[in-house]
Amino acid sequence: MSVDVVVSEDDLAEMVEQVWLSYLDPEGVSPLVPTGDHGQPSEVHSSVSISGTWTGHVVYASSTAAARRAAAAFLAMDAAEVGPEDLSDVLGELANIVGGNVKALLPPGCLLSLPQVVLAPESATRYPNADRVGGLYAVWDGEPVSISMWQSRDVKNKEANA
Amino acid sequence: MKILIADDSRVMRQIVSRTLRQAGFGDHDLVEAADGREALDKATAEAPDLVISDWNMPELSGVEVLRKLRSAGNDVKFGFVTSECTPEMQQQAEAAGAAFFIVKPFTADRFGEVFSPILG
Repeated sequence: MSVDVVVSEDDLAEMVEQVWLSYLDPEGVSPLVPTGDHGQPSEVHSSVSISGTWTGHVVYASSTAAARRAAAAFLAMDAAEVGPEDLSDVLGELANIVGGNVKALLPPGCLLSLPQVVLAPESATRYPNADRVGGLYAVWDGEPVSISMWQSRDVKNKEANA
Repeated sequence: MKILIADDSRVMRQIVSRTLRQAGFGDHDLVEAADGREALDKATAEAPDLVISDWNMPELSGVEVLRKLRSAGNDVKFGFVTSECTPEMQQQAEAAGAAFFIVKPFTADRFGEVFSPILG
């Protein structure tokens, strides 16, 4: 069965909105505002891999300030108290939550990896043989936050020829 | 009652604990496990009344922990809090003997709905 991208930017926006309302912005006063700017900078990122009927990566990236603020909200602490371990844990969990929700929208038979966290810009990580096939690019109180999906080219080509 | 929270994310263990408190279950004794192996060990050694487990964890997945407990004759009330929610996983969870399946992100209301019948 050929499986193309079935998770739209609107789907991603809906998932992220739930994360924000549940943990990061329960009052609904600081939502993510989409910019559509694929070139917006990031300083930290995390990802999960999905393999199966759809194979690729889901990447969460943001500025350090946005990650610090997310960690403070998740851990109910002051942003100034957030350490590198807190940042890593929260970034990993954000990738895990979004990746898990993405997986739920894909055809059955996919496996989700544990999250990988890199406290460096998204451009520091390469996804060989994978193309960016969609994403949500937004700002959170002026700080960049993005979720992008990268589909493995080999699988895509194989499916296209099937 | 004693509740074992198994999740490899410290953040998520903390959020589960906090959400339990917000849902009105703050008086229970909470124990934590940071991977599947530790969850299995503590589910045996600590004899909790309830296990709230992540699905995707190092060492052993949550459903593997549940299967091992059941095959050892341990009937502890066990369920999942996970970001993954495919029908196939829910079927696996039910088949293994899970009592509930909560999808991340979750709310205190969702915890109340699921845990009120269990924790009273």
